[in-house]
Formats: sequence, structure tokens, C-alpha cells
Amino acid sequence: MGLIFIRTIIIYITLLVVMRLMGKRQIGEMQPFELVITLLIAELACIPMADTSIPLLYGVIAIVTIYFLHQIVCLLDLGFKPMKALLSGAPSIVLNKDGIDDTQLKKNNLDVSDLIESLRGAGYFALDAVDYALYEANGSFSALPKTNYEQMQNSLPVILIDEGKFDEKNLKLTGKDKSYFLGVLKEQGCKNEKKVLVMTVDGNGKAYFQKKGERYKVLELGWEGKIW
Amino acid sequence: MVKTIVSIFISLALIVGISAYEIYSVGSTFRTFSEALASLYDKTEAQTATYEDGCAVRTFWKEKKRTLHIWIPHTSIENVDYQLNEALGYLYEQKYDDALPKIEVLIQMSEKIPASYAFSFENIF
Repeated sequence: MGLIFIRTIIIYITLLVVMRLMGKRQIGEMQPFELVITLLIAELACIPMADTSIPLLYGVIAIVTIYFLHQIVCLLDLGFKPMKALLSGAPSIVLNKDGIDDTQLKKNNLDVSDLIESLRGAGYFALDAVDYALYEANGSFSALPKTNYEQMQNSLPVILIDEGKFDEKNLKLTGKDKSYFLGVLKEQGCKNEKKVLVMTVDGNGKAYFQKKGERYKVLELGWEGKIW
Repeated sequence: MVKTIVSIFISLALIVGISAYEIYSVGSTFRTFSEALASLYDKTEAQTATYEDGCAVRTFWKEKKRTLHIWIPHTSIENVDYQLNEALGYLYEQKYDDALPKIEVLIQMSEKIPASYAFSFENIF
């Protein structure tokens, strides 16, 4: 039983560390240590239950060990603030008033399209419609919209350039060719698309443009009429 | 907070208590079993062992294995059962040379099984 106790501790700590390293993409509404318990407890209960050659006590001891570890983690999580950040992580502000924080996105194994998807899920379709967006420690997404954000969302923005690459499908949707947008990029001091973190464009010709490591700009491309 | 700390100590005490009892119980059962087997081995080597001597060892094992099922995998117990019955079969037919290796295997098993539950690097990993 002592061996099971030690082996369960090793597996628990390994899973917890791996879950924390995987970032917020792997978590969904649960703290990392809660997710680890969810992953472990079903197997621990199931194996001795189904395999009659294993004493049932093996499963019971492993489950009691998980409970013991959970209580310790809860105690550290509630009682010691530095441990809370270490065990559960901290919220990541991935979009602020300067635009998308690429470093924070990468740290959580996310990319720009993941952020846009999360924003859409929260009801915000334009990147410039929010002042702040963050992934909470448990992986859930929160955003603080601008006061007049509803007026900014009268046409669906699509990703034209995602981390230095044109999206050919969306390029066709605009009815413009690549050289037209390369011209727009040149006006903004970009030789080509490689240095662009993100560029979205909506049917009215309003573009959200952000170079890597720089503040975002909202460009009016001056299209005649609404394209979509 | 107090409830959490109390629950930590209770669960730890439970695990440590069960572990200590397991080490003591499994260790002492197999030590006695090993001594009985060693005595049977000596008698078999001297060709004085009887079927009844073997049955006495089996009776002891049958009594103890009921509680052993709680602590060790049932396949390990079945392996001991198999080897013991084989040895008894040879003793019944008075085939002492065939019974000796079987008893030797049982002595080895009674040392190896408790060792596989001891705190050691190889057992943990």
C-alpha cells in the first residue's frame, strides 16, 4: 500500500506539472489540479473494479491518496498566495489597448485565430471592439468591450493575414488581389506580409492591422459600398 | 482551513496505518510459511516427509491466504497454490526428487512476494 501511495504521488505531480506546462488551451473551466484528479480518479476506480485479480484495496488506497493530495493542494492554493500562482496559474491578458499580446498567446500555446474564435464565442466579432481580453487561470475567456462596441460590429471581419501568411480563401472574398493588400502594407511600412501579426478586414473595408511587436492600427481602406 | 488540515492528517494516518499493517502482516505470514516450507524441504531431502506433512503446510497456507487476498494480487496466491499442490502430489507418490524443486520454488516465492512490496527504488519505479 505504501508503494501505491508513493506511486500515486509521483503520477499526480507529473500530471499536474504537465498540465501547467501545456497552458490554458488544455484546460477548460477547471483548475489544473482539478483536471488532474478528473483524469486519474476514473482509472483508479475502474481498474481494480474490473480486474478481479487486483485487490480492491489498491484502488481504495490510490483514491484516498488522491484525496490527501487534493486537500494539500487546496490548502496551499488557499493559504499561500505564491503557491496559488504556481499551482493554478495566473490570468493571461492576451489583448490590451495596444492590441494582441503575441507573447502571452504563445505562452499559453494559442494563436491569433484561437483568440478570434474565443472573442466570437464571447460575442465580440471585431478585434478593436474590446479593450482587454484575457484567459483566466481555469482556461475560461473574459473580455472587456469598448463602450460603443456594438457600432463597430456591423460587418463580419475575416482574417486576411494570420501571423505572416495570407488566407487565400478570405483574400478571394474581398474581391481584391494580393498586390492591392501588399500596397496597403507598404503604406504602413511593411515590405511584405511576413512582419504582420494579424490583419482582419470587414465588408466595409475597415481593417485591423498589427505588425509584430507593435501597436495595432485601424485602417479605412475606402471601399465603395459594403462587400459582405 | 481546520477541516482541511484535519482531513489531511486523517487520510495520511489511514494510509500510513494500512501500509504499516500490510508490511507487518504480509511479512510475518510469509516468514512463517517459509519456515514451514524449509522444514518440509529438509524432511523431503531426507526422504522422511509424508503426505500429511505436506497437508499441514497446505492447511496453514489456506488459513492465511484468506487475509492475504486483501493485500496481494490474487494471481500471486494462485501461483503459490499451484506449486504447493504439485509438491503435495509428488509427496503422495513419494517422488521426493520431483517434490524438492517445487518446494524450493515455494521457498523462493515466499521470499520474493513480500520483497516486491517493500520500499525500494525498483519497486517504486
